[in-house]
Amino acid sequence: MTAVLTPVAAPAVLRRDGVRWAWGLGTLVVLGWSLAGAGLFSGAVVNGAGTRQFGRFAAAALSPATDGAFLGVLASSVLITVAYAALGAALAVGLGAVGAVAVARTTWGRRRLGWALARGALAVPRGLHEAVWGLLLVNLLGLDPWVGVLAIGVPYGAVTAKVFADLLDEVPRGPYDALRATGAGPVPAALYGLLPAASGGLLSYSFYRLECAVRSAVVLGLIGAGGLGYQLSLSFSSLRWPEVWSCVYALSVLCVLAVVAGRAVRRRVADPRPAGDRLRRDPLLTTAVLTTLAAVAWSWWYLAVSPATLVSDRTGDQLRYVLAAAWPPDVDGPLLSAVASAAVDTVQMSVIAIAVATVGAVLLAGVAAHPVRPTVARRLTGAVVRAALLVLRAVPPPVWALVLLFVLLPGILPGALALGVYTLGVLGRLAAEATEELDPRPRAALTALGAGPVAGWLYGALPAATGPVLAYALYRWEVAIRDTVLVGLLGAGGLGALLASRLAVFDWGAVTTVLVALIVLTTAVDLVSARARAALR
Amino acid sequence: MDAGERVAVVGASGAGKSILLAVANGSVPATAGTVEVLGADPGALSGRALRQLRARVGTVHQHLELVGQLRVVHNVNAGRLAAWPAWRAAWSLLRPQWLPEVLAALTELELADRVWERTDRLSGGQRQRVAVARVLVQRPELVLADEPASALDPVLADRTMTLLAGTGSTLVASLHDPALALRHCTRVVGLAAGRVVLDSPAAGLSLADLSAFYGAPR
Amino acid sequence: MSTRRAVRSGGRVEAQLSRRGFLTATAATAAAAALAACGRTSPVSSPGAAPSSGRGALRLGAIPDQDPEVLQRLYGTVADSMSAALDLDVSYSPVTDYGAAVSLFRTGDLDLVWFGGLTGVQARLQTPGAQPVAQRDIDQDFHSVFVVNTATGLAPADDLTPLAPLRFTYGSETSTSGRLMPAFFLREQGVDPQGFPGGPGFSGSHDATLALVAAGSYQAGVLNEQVWGSRTAAGTVDPAVVQYARTPAFHDYHWLLGPQATQRLGADLAPRLTEWFTGLPAGDPVLELFGADGFVPTEAGNYAQIEQIGRSLGLVS
Repeated sequence: MTAVLTPVAAPAVLRRDGVRWAWGLGTLVVLGWSLAGAGLFSGAVVNGAGTRQFGRFAAAALSPATDGAFLGVLASSVLITVAYAALGAALAVGLGAVGAVAVARTTWGRRRLGWALARGALAVPRGLHEAVWGLLLVNLLGLDPWVGVLAIGVPYGAVTAKVFADLLDEVPRGPYDALRATGAGPVPAALYGLLPAASGGLLSYSFYRLECAVRSAVVLGLIGAGGLGYQLSLSFSSLRWPEVWSCVYALSVLCVLAVVAGRAVRRRVADPRPAGDRLRRDPLLTTAVLTTLAAVAWSWWYLAVSPATLVSDRTGDQLRYVLAAAWPPDVDGPLLSAVASAAVDTVQMSVIAIAVATVGAVLLAGVAAHPVRPTVARRLTGAVVRAALLVLRAVPPPVWALVLLFVLLPGILPGALALGVYTLGVLGRLAAEATEELDPRPRAALTALGAGPVAGWLYGALPAATGPVLAYALYRWEVAIRDTVLVGLLGAGGLGALLASRLAVFDWGAVTTVLVALIVLTTAVDLVSARARAALR
Repeated sequence: MDAGERVAVVGASGAGKSILLAVANGSVPATAGTVEVLGADPGALSGRALRQLRARVGTVHQHLELVGQLRVVHNVNAGRLAAWPAWRAAWSLLRPQWLPEVLAALTELELADRVWERTDRLSGGQRQRVAVARVLVQRPELVLADEPASALDPVLADRTMTLLAGTGSTLVASLHDPALALRHCTRVVGLAAGRVVLDSPAAGLSLADLSAFYGAPR
Repeated sequence: MSTRRAVRSGGRVEAQLSRRGFLTATAATAAAAALAACGRTSPVSSPGAAPSSGRGALRLGAIPDQDPEVLQRLYGTVADSMSAALDLDVSYSPVTDYGAAVSLFRTGDLDLVWFGGLTGVQARLQTPGAQPVAQRDIDQDFHSVFVVNTATGLAPADDLTPLAPLRFTYGSETSTSGRLMPAFFLREQGVDPQGFPGGPGFSGSHDATLALVAAGSYQAGVLNEQVWGSRTAAGTVDPAVVQYARTPAFHDYHWLLGPQATQRLGADLAPRLTEWFTGLPAGDPVLELFGADGFVPTEAGNYAQIEQIGRSLGLVS
């Protein structure tokens, strides 16, 4: 009290972080440019007369088709979809595990060039949407279950390899280095020093991929690979909304099962049972892994996948045929300018989509999260919002694109919003989970000093949730770029529309050009999004 | 205890100091017995009445429970959340309100130069002072402080206790440092295994008495 | 997970044993599944594609663009009826995508496909030796109709130029009746088929075209006359949509037979199929499915005009 304390002057004004401000400002500029591109500032975009058509779609949600014959068809379709998802996800995890070793920093050490090249090689399988892989594989393999399995497994495998590698790289290196110092080889050292620490994350992510694989299996059905998506596309092309909704609900049930299972596994991994006096495996985790393995084996049997197809002469012939037709890429002027303007549309669509999804996710995350101390009303609202998010992502983007086109005028906006509501379904769930994983105590401290719910959320939850949610949003931006192909395949503009029109006339040279453009665009967005995520940290 | 009293709660780790404070601010319901805080039982209140009661009780938590992603100014201003309507709380995140009060509190705590810093970039001692500043701007009638000076050097620890004691409110502080307890408190309550084993005016106690108390088996 | 636990246990014998047992069981399950799969037909691939099954089946495929749902789900009827009459194994494979069907025809995954006029030409050009075997009576005199939203105030006419300033949608990109022929007739009358404001839309199906024009998102569109007729008869057409013009006649759908089927199942397969199709009695369920009174023979020359138009519009390369 009597000690001499030098008074320290406070900085007079609030200093904002320059880098973050630049990113924020840049985001606003890009968003404005995208909205202008969608025609938001140049005349009407809404078509009020179409509400009746949209209403038919919406009203059918309450009266899905339930006749016996159709439900029978649906049941066998569900089996096919499940089998595709299980095999595709299993292949992805297998490829991812091998690929992770190939692209982890741990493997490459200081050989940065090798590491960068290995990472770059992943951009090719990752840059193309599952549906595009499906369309290409149909040309090589014909009507074979491998089409669906590979179309999911290959791009997912690349994504999984990247995520697994990041998880491994994030594990503190001390234990690994210590083991290496005692003379252990790199593989045993990784097994004892890296894998145990990363295993929780690896397992959680594998189950997350399984849920994504269910939705992708449906998308593949849209392009003719069978299953639930095939039934959905049949009903969709003659606009039989009650049957479309039955398919959507069937898909929702599958997604819920995957989410619930994944959630149980994640929780157990995060909070393991106390160990007893002897080695005992966790029954829940053991069941989950064994069930998954059994499901994969069953899927293999059910789809009658035959490895011989992949190396048959016929596959080789078709590969040569397509490669001969597809190489060299078409580089004439009109095509390149069409690619450039379609690429602009694609970027604008993805930006609008991700903006809509992020705003929605931030607003809904708090309500959608499982509450710590639930009241009945709170629990009910939470369940309703979660169900709504589930339906948003269970209705495939092409369906959203058409029904939104009823109430909007043609252009990139319907496609962008279609992707936006679909991505909101995914992002909302991720944001809710991020909210649930926040430390509840700072917010509880605010409640203890009398803060109301809104103020408590603003000061206690929002600041902590913003980082993870924005990081997810940036990650989904890259996914949205790929997904624009999906709405584009059905004519909503962008590179997808261009790809569809070139594929329709079997102009393989131009198809190659568009695919290269897509890969370049996805890679560019990946780089920008990685930079932005780094600036957020 | 009476209004204006400054009570030090002392005891070995696990003696029940933190839980006593948590029961007092209503975070944890009492399992037995009656609780009366500022003339009311937090367990019997709900909604607005409970919030009004809570607004009159300020707490420095043992683990501080600050929001790391917020700037210091907002974490201090969080002390005003009970008094502010939601719109003002929201607006303050964009244009910090009550800046003179915040700066005054932080200046007393030697932290004014970090007012715009993100809280998770501060050291443990600095964060502890942010938590104290939050209570200062809250201006409660009862201050519950769980180890409010544990990460501070002796000079700052003294100054912090003076500030908490000088708000004119009733102070209940759990303290590890017996000297600090004797210098700043009027009464000392000792806990062991959840029971009160000592309750005496500070004036009648010596440093040696208390040191022995800390050394007592649980 | 098992790895993690084993690692944590410090390599105790018990853990290693159970882990080995676990892995063995897994491998055994996988091996058993692989073996079991050999004797099974995949629910998604074309049965008979395996070379081991003797002569193999005749593999039907279709990309119908009207009531695809009903047609696809009832296609068993066609396969069974054909199988019984021709003493052949006939299987049906589901396909929804025009492009996929053409590719599958080229690769020999599909032998006999119900193609539209344009897709048939594409498939024939990519598959030397393919021959058309039959078409419906209505396919030799096929028409499309231009429809407009009543809000445009346009009265039915033969002049297509008033459509030029409207938001306009075609159906599927490679549909003969929903894209190719309408584009041709528009160009004949001096309307740029790609020049509609904002570019023309591709709704994806005839029903989607109707719904989008009814909504007014597109002010005008074009679709297959057969679909227009059946939707009008069923009373499901929104009153906001009216017929504006009808195109002249052209050839459309036909059955196309691939060369591999002829090699496998005998050179007389094409005439036998033509005979069976054209001999179907009135009222046969197959005819009802296809909305026709009967099938008639057809030949490649019927689609020369489509090929020529396709080339000029860049839809055939």
